[in-house]
Amino acid sequence: MIQNFGFNLDKIKNISQEEKSERELSLSLFNKKGFPNKKLEDWKFTDFNKIIGENFKELHSNFILDNNKKFLPLKDFDHNSITLINGFLNDSDFKYEKEENIVVNKYLKKHTNKSEVKNALINLNDALFEGGYFLDVLSNYKFKKPLIIYNYFSNNLKNTIINNKNLINLGNHSTIEIIEYNMDLSEDNFITNNYTEILLGANASFKNYTIQGNKSNGFFYKFIKSSLSKNSSYEDYIFSSGLKFNKIEEEIDINGEGVNCNIQSGLFLDQDQQQEIKTQINHLQPNSKSYQKVKNVLNKNCKSAYQGKIFVEKIAQKTDAYQLSKALILNDLSEFNAKPELEIYADDVKCSHGSTSGNMNEDSIYYLMTRGVSRKQAIEILTEAFLFEITDSIKSTFIKNFIESKLTKQIYGH
Amino acid sequence: MLKIHDLKASINEKLIIKGLDLDIKAGEVHAIMGPNGSGKSTLANILSGKAGYKISGDINFNGELINDVPIEERSQKGMFLAFQYPLEIPGVNTNNFLKTSLNAIRKARGQKELDTLTFLKLVKSKASELGIDENFLSRQLNVGFSGGEKKKNEILQMKLLEPKLSILDETDSGLDIDALRIVADGVNSSKKKDNAFLIITHYQRLLDYIKPDFIHVLSDGKIIKTGGSELGLELEKTGYLNL
Repeated sequence: MIQNFGFNLDKIKNISQEEKSERELSLSLFNKKGFPNKKLEDWKFTDFNKIIGENFKELHSNFILDNNKKFLPLKDFDHNSITLINGFLNDSDFKYEKEENIVVNKYLKKHTNKSEVKNALINLNDALFEGGYFLDVLSNYKFKKPLIIYNYFSNNLKNTIINNKNLINLGNHSTIEIIEYNMDLSEDNFITNNYTEILLGANASFKNYTIQGNKSNGFFYKFIKSSLSKNSSYEDYIFSSGLKFNKIEEEIDINGEGVNCNIQSGLFLDQDQQQEIKTQINHLQPNSKSYQKVKNVLNKNCKSAYQGKIFVEKIAQKTDAYQLSKALILNDLSEFNAKPELEIYADDVKCSHGSTSGNMNEDSIYYLMTRGVSRKQAIEILTEAFLFEITDSIKSTFIKNFIESKLTKQIYGH
Repeated sequence: MLKIHDLKASINEKLIIKGLDLDIKAGEVHAIMGPNGSGKSTLANILSGKAGYKISGDINFNGELINDVPIEERSQKGMFLAFQYPLEIPGVNTNNFLKTSLNAIRKARGQKELDTLTFLKLVKSKASELGIDENFLSRQLNVGFSGGEKKKNEILQMKLLEPKLSILDETDSGLDIDALRIVADGVNSSKKKDNAFLIITHYQRLLDYIKPDFIHVLSDGKIIKTGGSELGLELEKTGYLNL
């Protein structure tokens, strides 16, 4: 157990007295609760407090920002970019777009009273956040090329926690496709605690792909709060394999009719890794659809969980909500937990959920081996096939190919 | 090519093959016929190296005792099993898989692996010989294939991998006359001096198209009768019970 977190607000400069007192309030809320542990329902499969205690002897938020590092961008396809280093906005480039439609800036504090927030990690984020970005896309603007958000982590992060916030605001009838590309250039153990807010205007279309570029000893926590207006489309794909620890929570409010919300994930976990995806989709208006599919492959000695809640408000008639989780467990020491939850107050809805987990089919392995491939290769082929069911629904061929090549690397380790 | 001596095999303590001898030479086509439960499919499984059986006796393949050789190495050494029930493998593209398989075997044989273009040219020509539609190759392996399509896919794999010994486990079951003819043509056109076939079947029907040099009758885990192709016709009339 860490006795003294050593968190203080001294490092955060140029803030008003009002903001400082808000941050102090948030810090005192966090200090009262501490890091979440498994006694809390939201953390029952992931005892974060214990994990922190086992992996960090000390923890502070005073890291030195290394802004001079240069990184080579990906050459796989033409793209715009936003570059973050250790959570801070470093650079942006929208050369393929009409730039008058786009505003990018460092995240600016909004004055909201967060004292009612139960989640201690959000309290901590509210208290200590620095950096992050704000992306505003005006109405009626369709991106010509995808946007890659390079999320780099440099060295000198040992025993640090990075707290930052992002905000994406997509105007009415606008479309964007974002690839969030995480790259950890350190070997340090550190924590990132991110809070991202996503606002979609009416008829807006938002696609996001989170992909991990390499293995990392980092402990990643991200809370995404999304608000979707009528007829908007929200698609989020999570391929964050390779992280020592990762928990992504998504809370999505469907605030209009005709919304399409789609969350899919394909993860490959290996030795001593742990991941959890937790979603809550709030159907607050009628005639909207949500679809969730989460597939996990658990190799040696790792843990993974999926908690998916669908909430349907009384007026949200004709809601069509679906969720499915499938886990392929390749080793007896690995563990997968699923907790589907439906809370429905409307009487004319279609909601379903399913969850399966099991070992790989031995007959399939046998069939492939009779065609000359080794057992190891057969398992790799079947693992790839299991996860590529998720990438199959990606419409953009070059993004699909890019993600599949990264996934293949995660599975085969080369 | 294949020499089996006094093969006994059991699964879960139950003896299925009870002392079987078989000698297949290069250039020959052998058929094994027999009633349900006589051990035909068990024999095919054992020859392919499937786990779960306790065996004794000798299985020699090209002069090498292969009792303990793993499944994939048997395939690399030139043994091929066409499945009675080919498995559906969702998410695996047929073409990609055929290429992986062929290259694994080529690599083991010390041959150069084929690049994608050369492979595609080869697989398309083999597919057209069998009257298989090209679209079929870009589908997921056996997923949603009809019974006939699955069996044709097995024969395509056989033609592609060019094995020394092909074992066809009830490949004729569930086939209509046209598909049966395609399967038989696939075998007949692959026949060479240096390869051999073991055809496992219930019925004479397939043997109208593929003329075997020898027919063996398997009953209760033993070969009880061996003859020429006329034995099949005889069985068709008299049935297995009167043997």
